[in-house]
Amino acid sequence: MSTGRTSRPLTAWAFLAPYAVAVALLIALPALLNLGYAFTDHTGLTRDPRFTGLANVRRLLADDFLVDSVRASAIHVALAVPLRLLAAIGLGLLLAAPRPGGRWFRVAVYLPTVVPDVALAVLFLWVLNPLYGPLNQLLGLVGHPGMNWLAEPGSARVAVALMLAFPIGEGFIVVLAARRMLDGRLYEAAALEGCGPIGQLRRLTLPLLAPVLVLLAVRDTILTLQVNFVPAYVLTDGRPANATLYLPVYIFDQVFEFSGFAYGAMITSVLMVVTGVIITALLLMVRRWRVLR
Amino acid sequence: MAEQGVIRLESLTKSYGKVVALDGVDLAVRAGEMVTLVGPSGSGKSTILRLIAGLDRPDRGRVVVDGQDVARVPPHRRAVAMVFQDYALYPHLTVRGNLLFGLRVRRVRRAEAEDRARAAADRLGIADLLDRYPDETSGGQRQRIALARALLREPTVYLLDEPLASLDAPLRFATRADLLTLHRELGTTTIHVTHDQAEAMTLGDRVVVLDHGRVRQIGPPQQVYDEPADTFVAGFLGSPPMNLVPGGGVLGGGTDLTLGVRPEDLRLDPDGPVATTVEAVEALGSEAILLTRCDDGTRLTVRTGPRPGVWPGDQVRLRADPGRIHRFDADTGRRR
Repeated sequence: MSTGRTSRPLTAWAFLAPYAVAVALLIALPALLNLGYAFTDHTGLTRDPRFTGLANVRRLLADDFLVDSVRASAIHVALAVPLRLLAAIGLGLLLAAPRPGGRWFRVAVYLPTVVPDVALAVLFLWVLNPLYGPLNQLLGLVGHPGMNWLAEPGSARVAVALMLAFPIGEGFIVVLAARRMLDGRLYEAAALEGCGPIGQLRRLTLPLLAPVLVLLAVRDTILTLQVNFVPAYVLTDGRPANATLYLPVYIFDQVFEFSGFAYGAMITSVLMVVTGVIITALLLMVRRWRVLR
Repeated sequence: MAEQGVIRLESLTKSYGKVVALDGVDLAVRAGEMVTLVGPSGSGKSTILRLIAGLDRPDRGRVVVDGQDVARVPPHRRAVAMVFQDYALYPHLTVRGNLLFGLRVRRVRRAEAEDRARAAADRLGIADLLDRYPDETSGGQRQRIALARALLREPTVYLLDEPLASLDAPLRFATRADLLTLHRELGTTTIHVTHDQAEAMTLGDRVVVLDHGRVRQIGPPQQVYDEPADTFVAGFLGSPPMNLVPGGGVLGGGTDLTLGVRPEDLRLDPDGPVATTVEAVEALGSEAILLTRCDDGTRLTVRTGPRPGVWPGDQVRLRADPGRIHRFDADTGRRR
């Protein structure tokens, strides 16, 4: 027993080692390098980088495009995360119960997640087309003249969020699996006490799924801040009026189009800070609302 | 008030897919009575509870509560409270939250709800657990929480689905007595499901023996034990089960009969008519069980006092109490 107890931490570390090495080499080290580059004049093309002190910070503070970019990212998170969570949770709970043909609906919900980002974005160029796109035709059915989706700042933001409301497969699967693990007897007990479907959702399903939902919210926030690059690049290229110039898009522009490698590193650090702030706010909210035990 | 809680089941039939869970069950439960449903797993005991509670609908037949057919009455409008086998406590709520759940759903005023929850908790001796979560309580405590929750429904009928099955043996013994006391105090009709012999014998005014969705016998426990209606009941109730000898064999009798004798109605007697060989002796402390085998292969179980003084391999002779030999029809298994 005693030998087992002393060797156990070593065994654990041995198993963790490959992952720890990968994290150190592929994530921690580049992150640190990135932070270092942020205080240089590195272009990624020419001579060795030179330390420039706070020059990039001064540039950052005077950068109007960055303000637009942070705003675009924040609005995008506020639009896309609730939309995606609502879709994943709603569909997950709806399709968790076994019913005839249910598997085809589940496949249909997961399918957009399998489609490559670029393909989905190209598809959405067609969906959103103001002349022959199906979305405007649908709006036409209810008497709406349709929108020039990607030409107005507001509707362009909505359009990108709308597209990202479809690849929700992972969240959907997690909700589906978590709901199926809940004990059916609890629902019978609640039904005996007079708790209807809405009451069961409010008093049982959502509180019982709370840990999973918080995890999904955190994960989706991080994801949404970062994976909006492809749709924004294909659909709008950051336009109109910088409405979809999300941080990853702006970073890409700086690094690869303006050769501002060092400045891009500085904005990347900003993205990390923004992500950290939003996640912290989310977790504080969770604690305050006492969602988790 | 005294007339509340009368239940009548009329040719109740229920299938789940191809599995027939209940096949024409008739049962009348009097107000204030405690009835035990007993049978092997899959005999339909729990299905009866679910149909009375309204969690499932019968394929045919009626559930009549207090003279009213409740086919169209949703579960929460039936004045029944159910205690599930695994208790079905809400894991995300404290004990207090569990007790208040139904009261909140029914929009009972907060102060009143708190008072009633506390009273129920006091009654079942769980008042000091109110701020704990279910997974911080023991099995016995959970059972009490579930009972307290049922109490707060103020039902006219309690449905208890194997309420003692998850408890360990000593606790089960104590809780059995508590359940009886509670039932006597409340005087509410209670239907209780078990597959445990001892519970079936001790916990009910009447016991209903079920097999394959049919009622085999209904009666006071001792009567069912003394005069089993057929070979199934004879073999099911009692531990170890009754010795059943098709054709009479070593016990004598005709070929159209199956004779039965309970282990306690056989005794060692040097002049007894039945010659047999002891194969095993189970010493249970207060008594001993002899497993024996006759020359024709018939196995007989004998209950004796402790330390019977015989050993595996011994040749012994047995005598059956002639007044306590049960006669069953060899074909139908019915009592004759």
